[in-house]
Amino acid sequence: MDPARPLGPAQIDAVAQLGVSTILLGGIYALIAVGLTLIFGIMRVVNFAHGEFLMLGMYLAFWSFTLWRVDPYFVLVVAIPLFFVVGLVTYVLVMKGVITASHNVQIFTTFGLSILLQNVALVAWSGDFRFVRPWHLSVALRIGGTTFNLSQVVAFVIAVVLTVALVAFMKWTHTGRVMRATAQDRDAATLMGIDTDRVYRLTFAIGIAAVGAAGVLVAPLYSVYPTAGLQFVLLSYVVVVLGGLGDMAGALIGSLIVAAVEVAGSYVFGIAWKEIFYFLLFILVLVFRPAGLFGQRGSETLGA
Amino acid sequence: MTALTRHAGAVVLFGGAAVVPLVIRDAFFLDSLVLILLWGALSAAWNVAGGYAGQVSIGHASFFGIGAYAGALMVTRFGKSPWLGMLLGVVISIGAGLIIGFLSNRLKGPYFALSTIALSQVLLIAVSRWRGFTAGGEGIPVPFRPGFATLGLGHVAWVYMALAVAILYYGVEVYLEHSRIGYQLAGVREDEDAAEALGIATRALKVIAVTVSAALTSVCGTLWAQYVGFVDPAYVFSVDLSVRFALNTIIGGIGTALGPYLGSILITVLETYLRATFAGMKTGFTGIYLVIYGAALILVVRWAPEGLTGIAARLRARAAAGARGARAHA
Repeated sequence: MDPARPLGPAQIDAVAQLGVSTILLGGIYALIAVGLTLIFGIMRVVNFAHGEFLMLGMYLAFWSFTLWRVDPYFVLVVAIPLFFVVGLVTYVLVMKGVITASHNVQIFTTFGLSILLQNVALVAWSGDFRFVRPWHLSVALRIGGTTFNLSQVVAFVIAVVLTVALVAFMKWTHTGRVMRATAQDRDAATLMGIDTDRVYRLTFAIGIAAVGAAGVLVAPLYSVYPTAGLQFVLLSYVVVVLGGLGDMAGALIGSLIVAAVEVAGSYVFGIAWKEIFYFLLFILVLVFRPAGLFGQRGSETLGA
Repeated sequence: MTALTRHAGAVVLFGGAAVVPLVIRDAFFLDSLVLILLWGALSAAWNVAGGYAGQVSIGHASFFGIGAYAGALMVTRFGKSPWLGMLLGVVISIGAGLIIGFLSNRLKGPYFALSTIALSQVLLIAVSRWRGFTAGGEGIPVPFRPGFATLGLGHVAWVYMALAVAILYYGVEVYLEHSRIGYQLAGVREDEDAAEALGIATRALKVIAVTVSAALTSVCGTLWAQYVGFVDPAYVFSVDLSVRFALNTIIGGIGTALGPYLGSILITVLETYLRATFAGMKTGFTGIYLVIYGAALILVVRWAPEGLTGIAARLRARAAAGARGARAHA
């Protein structure tokens, strides 16, 4: 496009469409990433199995829809408490033992969990691509020159509501303050009488509940298969590193940036290349601003 | 302790591998042996960075894939020897290894692991999409042309080829245990600040360790592609493959010379056995061995982080203490 030429209505529509797509996509990415960044920020553990909980959420939506014709948005009511419990159980069985272990132990523990869950899904439900097609997926909304479907919009709205609720919970409730205090200084928090084990348990459960909910929400928009979590989790690492690991507000902005890169990249270069842009962005950020665009300099070398 | 007893495990292992093809000519058995040795060598290569230098990468499939594709493309696109491809792969891997090594100086722990995954994903996408040159996601069949120059070898010859590489890499690891640079690396791994305070060039050492590890991985990548006869991006650049190198090493004993090979034997045998057991069942059920993988990884890092060699050392120490106790009583 010649920059000197004034934009015609077609280009304005294209730009508007890209903008709206970015925001819709960014909202969903934010809900995926916010659980990851919460777990990292408080527990100092990168959960490499995060994407697998998203995948499980997608399967929950798929089976509820296929077996009982339950709309994914109603499944959400069950999914959030269910994944909260899944998170609690996973914490007690797997994470509790490695919370004070070295990075390498934590990396391989969560990686082991990821392999385990992926293949449990493969064995139980086979590697077939599955689809959830509720009625609202085929309802197209037109506003101005932009078009999108109802599922995307509802998923976006719910994702934003959940993300904002989580941020508000962290900021204004007593439990949220206790969690943030533990994130800042584990030892000091213990000395103040905070039960850090309870904080970690709660953190992990909330993080998993968020990503499980995200899985249910995205199920109609993407195909469901055992390694479906991988593409999202790689993307949410990018989001989380951009925003600064552990920074929830940063994750929101990071999600929008990644969504913008993805949307603009696929528009200009074709959909096949879209992932390469945010990985390149990821490596560039790691090289030049490893603490994130807004993070404190040097926090990455502490390894936290 | 003499050199022979210190390396008794390796002597038994590599000696056994050398004798077996003389006795057993079963193609399936020899195939398993080649894979055990190649996976062992690849894990040993990973161990140089992940074990000795403490730079845990989950993107070593990058270098494996570079080697595999360099060999396959050199043969199919340019009609040249895969050895030339191996050389090219090593050169490219050194370049990529320098980048990752540079990152290892800026990033710690999980950040470093994430950056290595990102590299392998960028390569995966690039190779999958660049259809004109790499044939994209369909992969490239590597033609079999008999002869050493074209790496078209029989099963027995492959065993000795893989064995030579395995012994060479074992030698590299032993060198790292007993040389000045090896002690310096141990210092970097255990406490980087202290090592630096002692005047060790920690940054340069990490870059060297990661780069050497990358080059060694690339060589095995080329060999693997020529041996198996097929490369496709979804496999050679997969995160699963990167985890496999690490998994073998951790289960066998991270930071030990023999560990990667012990881990490779255990995992490869387990995989072959479980695949055979579950092959007749419904599709997807072969994934059950990966379920066991995952569980094994979680349990080992938690309960036996020193792996098989660590367990063996503990048992030996207990036996020695028992023997001393018995003598004292007598």
